[in-house]
This record gives sequence, C-alpha cells and structure tokens, in this order.
Amino acid sequence: MKAEFDPVTLATPFFILSIILEIVLARMGKAQARYEAKDTAVSLGMGLGSTVAGVFTAGLIFAATVWVYEHRLFTIPMTAIWAWVAIFLLEDLTYYVFHRVSHERRFWWASHVNHHSSQHYNLSTALRQTWTGGVAGTWLLWLPLAWLGFPPAMIAIQKGISLVYQYWIHTEAIRRLPRWFEAVFNTPSHHRVHHARNPLYLDKNYAGILIIWDRMFGTFQPELDEEPCRYGLVKNMATFNILRVAFHEWAGIVQDVVRHPRHALGYIFGPPGWSHDGSRETSAMIKARAAEAPAQPAGAIREAA
Amino acid sequence: MNEAFFVQLALSAAAVGVLVGIAAWAKIARPAGPLDEHKARGLLEYEFPGRRLDAVWVASDGAGALAKSGGLALVICQVGDGFAARQIPWAQAISSSFKNGKLCVDLADIAAPRATLSLPAWPPKDLAA
Repeated sequence: MKAEFDPVTLATPFFILSIILEIVLARMGKAQARYEAKDTAVSLGMGLGSTVAGVFTAGLIFAATVWVYEHRLFTIPMTAIWAWVAIFLLEDLTYYVFHRVSHERRFWWASHVNHHSSQHYNLSTALRQTWTGGVAGTWLLWLPLAWLGFPPAMIAIQKGISLVYQYWIHTEAIRRLPRWFEAVFNTPSHHRVHHARNPLYLDKNYAGILIIWDRMFGTFQPELDEEPCRYGLVKNMATFNILRVAFHEWAGIVQDVVRHPRHALGYIFGPPGWSHDGSRETSAMIKARAAEAPAQPAGAIREAA
Repeated sequence: MNEAFFVQLALSAAAVGVLVGIAAWAKIARPAGPLDEHKARGLLEYEFPGRRLDAVWVASDGAGALAKSGGLALVICQVGDGFAARQIPWAQAISSSFKNGKLCVDLADIAAPRATLSLPAWPPKDLAA
C-alpha cells in the first residue's frame, strides 16, 4: 500500500549517502562504526528482498485497509493538523504494540528475527528488513486506524515517516543526544539497547519514534556505560546464507511442531525460546539466571570477544 | 509490478553492490584477533554462563573452539568478524568427521548448520568415551 507521497522512496538516496558517509567517517577514524562486508551484503540484500516480498502482499493489505475504511466510524480530514497529531501518536502506539508482539510471541518473532540477526549495529542494519511481514499478518494491527476514519493514504504516509525515523537511530556514531530529546524520543542510545543481546537489555525499548511508550508500559531500559551492548541474537547465526537468515525461525517452528505436535500451540505462540520440556531458555529465563549470577566484568567480556 | 518497479529494483541492486564494495574497501570490521585459550575460555564463559569447562580445544587458526562440559560439547565458531555458539551432545562432537586437519561439527540447527574447526587431531584419545 503506497501513497503518492512515499517517505521511504523519497528517503532512499539519503539511506545510500548516509551509509557511505558512516563508512567513510569510520574509515577516517572520525566516527564509531563497524562494517563487515558479508554482514553488510546480507543486511542490504534483506532490504532489497523485502521490497520485492512486500509487492506480493501489498494488494491484500491495501484492499483490507480500504474495506475497513469504508466501514469507518468517523471521517477524519487529511488536511487537519489535529488529525496528523492524532495519527502520529496512534500510529506510534500501534508500532509499539506490533514491535512488542513481534518480540514476545514466536510466530511474529519468526518474521522479525532477521532484523536482529546481525552482530553489527550500523545504518545498514536498519535496512535488514523482513521478507515475511505480510504473511505474519502484523499489518492487521493498523486496521483499527482505518476503522477510526484515518484515510489509508494517511496511515501509509505515517508508517513511512516512522520507518524513515527509525533508520537513522541504527548507529553507534551518535552516543547520546540532549537529555530532553532522550526523554521523549527513540534515539540511537535507546535503540542500541533494543538490539543488544545482553540479558539486561533483552526485550526492552520497543519504541518507534517516541520512547514514552516504553516508559509508560515498563519496558524502558537506558544504555549503561558499564554494560556495553553486544549485538545480535541470544543464539547468533553461524551463516551468512540469506535464505537461512530470512526463514530460519519459520523452519524452526515447523520442525518443532512436527516433532512435538501435542505442544504445537506453545511452539507457535509461546515466547521465543519456549520448549515443552524446559530444555531451552526464554528471555525471561535468561534475565532471571543473569540476575542471580555474579556480574562478569565488562572488560573481561570485551577482551574475550 | 510495472516497468518502473523493475528499474527501481535494478538501481537498488546496483547500489547494494556499490555499498558492499565500499564496506569491503574500508576494512572497518571488528578487530577481533584469533582466539587463544584465554580468549576462548572468556567467550565460552560468556556464552555458556555457569558451565564447567572440563577441557578446551582452540582451533589452530583461532577461528573457533570446542569445550567439553559434562555430557555436552560447547562449540564456538567464527562468523565474519563475530562468533556464534551452540551446544550439542558430547557424543555427537566425538563422532564428527575429521579430515585433513578439519573437524566438521554438525550443529543440528537451521541457523547454525555446522562449524568447521582446524585441529591437529580428533577425537581426543583420553576423552573419546
């Protein structure tokens, strides 16, 4: 579903130029950034593939949104400023819910996991987008906005603005922003925490644009200097095969359901890491174990890696 | 899908190629040197907290390590400039194929199919059982 004004398409040259700038500045020693060629190829390949994959479900999503809009409660004008303020807040809240569900339930995690599969955190990581979002059906969460009466084009534009906003925060080059900004908005610091696999940082900072939702719903975690972020998955991928990156969790679900059909619901809709015999660990279990264990000095971990 | 879409796709693919080339040229990957025993133990302790390490074998090129922890084998393998870790039954590690100084360990995981470690010999005679 693309509006005539598509923020993502307009921002594409900025994406390319900013990645080049981040790499060149890092090469010159002027910015903090790490790029590994194969990792970058997978991230950008996933981004390219997601635009192709999106085409296959765009028609369905557009039709569903228009159908819901035809049964709307109110008619909200696209020209009113209050309407843009309202959709900014409501779309961002919807994104928070989508993002939280995408981390806390395996079916939706299967679609989102690839975005977290890089051990790097740079601007190319932002483009490591899902190929299976349409299949996972998380787009359904945005339909209530159409039902309320926001025009489909308005929803699409705001979703695009949110996506573009979330691009620039995928960087280590920016450490901290002014306190007032960090208090209200999602920032590189907050989002580094979200991409980190340190137990303390798991399942935190789901925000899209505004970090206030995490503060309100108890999922906020500031980045701590004494706990440097280690990026990637709890169990990192040992391959750069892009098909495995895109589909490994879906394949894992199928494998688990076939092996343990009596526990199918748990393996599909339980939290990632759930198992019927407790042989695996969920984020909650990892966090609990880490909270009990004596702290490992950050320096020792950095040295080991 | 119209012609404009394919033109946009082709240009994007070309841009991806250029960006990957620039990333390779820049040589700004993480400066993670090869693993030695000290580094390998540190990494194993981070990846498998609380696990006892009965014995550790570090790949001769420093690109991985394997540890025995009771009935489990803890495996670390290099992925780009990072590492991935998995645990498998010790018996599975013992029976892994070893040819020309390369141990190929089946990790039985879709996201981590196998790890290849350069070792002087395998299996270790005193721990083969």
